[in-house]
Amino acid sequence: MNDLSRRNFIASTSLGMAGMIVGGSLISPRQAHAASLPLKTLNKVQARTLGALAEALVPGALEAGIIQYVDKQLAESNTLLILKYLGLDASAMPGFYRNSLDSAHSLCQSLFTKSPESLTADQAQDWAANIAAGSDEKWQGPPAKFFFFVTRADACDVVFGTNAGSEALNIPYMAHIAPTTTW
Amino acid sequence: MNNPPLTQTYDCIVVGSGASGSIVASKLSEAGQSVLILEAGPSRELKDLVSSQLWARQLKWSGSPVEEEGNHKVGHGFNAGFGAGGSALHHYGVWPRLHNNDFDVLSKHGRSLDWPISYETLRPYYDEVQADVGISGDAKAEIWRPKGDPYPMPPLPVFAQGQVIGKGFSAMGLTTAPIPLAINSVPFKGEPSCTYDGWCDAGCPIGALKNPLVTHLQRAAVSGAEIRYDAQVTRVIIDKTNQQMARGVEYIDRDGQVYLVKGGKVVVAAFTVQTVRILLNSIRANGVALGNQFDNLGRYLTTHAGRTVFGLFPDQTDPHLGATGGQLICHDHYDDKTAIEGSFGSYQWLIANAVKPNGLLGYANSRPDIFGPKLQPFMEQAAKHLGNMLYIGEDRSVRQNRVVLSDKIDKFGIPIARTIHNAGPEQDAQMDFAMSEGGAIFRAGGATDIWTGPRAPIHIMGGAVMGSEEKASVTDDLGLVHGTDNVYVVGPSVFPTSGAVNPTFTVSALAYRTAEHLSRLS
Repeated sequence: MNDLSRRNFIASTSLGMAGMIVGGSLISPRQAHAASLPLKTLNKVQARTLGALAEALVPGALEAGIIQYVDKQLAESNTLLILKYLGLDASAMPGFYRNSLDSAHSLCQSLFTKSPESLTADQAQDWAANIAAGSDEKWQGPPAKFFFFVTRADACDVVFGTNAGSEALNIPYMAHIAPTTTW
Repeated sequence: MNNPPLTQTYDCIVVGSGASGSIVASKLSEAGQSVLILEAGPSRELKDLVSSQLWARQLKWSGSPVEEEGNHKVGHGFNAGFGAGGSALHHYGVWPRLHNNDFDVLSKHGRSLDWPISYETLRPYYDEVQADVGISGDAKAEIWRPKGDPYPMPPLPVFAQGQVIGKGFSAMGLTTAPIPLAINSVPFKGEPSCTYDGWCDAGCPIGALKNPLVTHLQRAAVSGAEIRYDAQVTRVIIDKTNQQMARGVEYIDRDGQVYLVKGGKVVVAAFTVQTVRILLNSIRANGVALGNQFDNLGRYLTTHAGRTVFGLFPDQTDPHLGATGGQLICHDHYDDKTAIEGSFGSYQWLIANAVKPNGLLGYANSRPDIFGPKLQPFMEQAAKHLGNMLYIGEDRSVRQNRVVLSDKIDKFGIPIARTIHNAGPEQDAQMDFAMSEGGAIFRAGGATDIWTGPRAPIHIMGGAVMGSEEKASVTDDLGLVHGTDNVYVVGPSVFPTSGAVNPTFTVSALAYRTAEHLSRLS
């Protein structure tokens, strides 16, 4: 995470409650992130942990609005989160993220005595690899490997699952009906 | 809950608006019968089919929770649809036929079940469906294809990915043919041809891929069938004096209001798990659910084992082009179910699937071990040089794999479904063999890095299986529930065996057959 991203990130999780509708218009997670809009479901520590982990897994996820995407979708009745495909009922999803993120934060503290957003790039990779391995006895949340997969997939969704994501890979998006990015 | 009286009457009530329900509804409505379709999910239009792996998730099941257990869970959240068109709204349009040897597995091999009909019984309905709906393919090139009419459209083109992987099959002495797809290769009956953009599983808004919004659900509406959305059917209402006769159904709208509607016939077409759930919640005066007098309801639940082989090829493959279902097919391992030692069953390869960067089937998630700074270089290489193909293996039909009612209830107080499904060692052996073969094919095609995805459940079948003996099945060969006069089941839940092919063509052929029968009834 570069300094600018970190500043945006910290600022984005420091505001009070609001929504993803600004001035009557829907905005994207990327725009919500840039505007530092407040959160609906996650607390500040959980949001910072999610942002740091997602950025470590898929560079660009933070600025693409991973925090705002997950936070908003956890409040939707028909969620777009990939968890929908993975056998977890919608009512259990907020608890899954909260418990996993709390565990990821605690693991980070125990490994580095730092908060996730303060890790160096190398430390962030080590932290992510620890979660991916799923074998740390200090982990207290839902299965760490599963959480890793889900978070990485969420991050891939916001980074690669758009027209801009395709352009970054130099492939055409070729939409019949172009999606909005106001998920 | 208040229970309003049975005031409205229809000749037929169809529960579900997916592939099978929309066929029955359209055929009966066109035959002059009054038809009501009750769909648990929302209305959808073609303009709702947004080209996005994220938005496509809105098409998937969002109704009452389903509990799943076993070593090979059925994946209801991924496989089931929700709303107009059901799971056929996001299906891939891969439409091979079952083979002759799928219909008599018990008789020939002493395992699984027999169908009460043969391939020859179903063949004219396959032919009728493909002429009606349209399939692109090359019947002659499918050297293993059972007898049937040639396809009404030529095959879709084979792009670079298919050509590269096809070389690997040829080098191994294996046969490939264009996949039979319910996708227009040329304009067909007013719908345009495919643009090969790989968005099939997000739903095809131009109608080149045949979903119910452009086929039978549309026909049902045009011919006068009434459709009510957000209408979750909870049970079939049984006549108090004649316990073989259904009077209608009960349903709940999204606000929790309960409705009762009368019907001369009830056709349950709510996809596998919810069909069984509705029947299990339809209790006779003797305390036994409809179709469960011999404890067969919910049993013989099957799902195909799917697993993808991936590889990076030196040649440019352009994996974003084509159809999600793939470009080529191989059934060389279909007709001898005992060919592989320690295994049993048929399997197929669906080759060169169009694939997106993200999503459950995307290449980003095929390599969860790659993350951080290494991810972008991998993604850039995969975007141009990836090849992939999907193994689909036959399941075993065993009584222990089943749908039951949970002790939990949904928000309306109705018991939810719980599925129990385990794969056996023979399925594991077949998949191991196939993965080894897939790796060899990719190496023969020039792939450098080769890896496989996890085993995934693809398609859900069984639970209300048809059979010739009442003691060993839930319905007869037309889907009439044993012990009833007017309750039918259509859809994949009636499959006694899974075969190893995608089920929607067979679902459609069976629904045509049942609809033909029902249209003759008053």
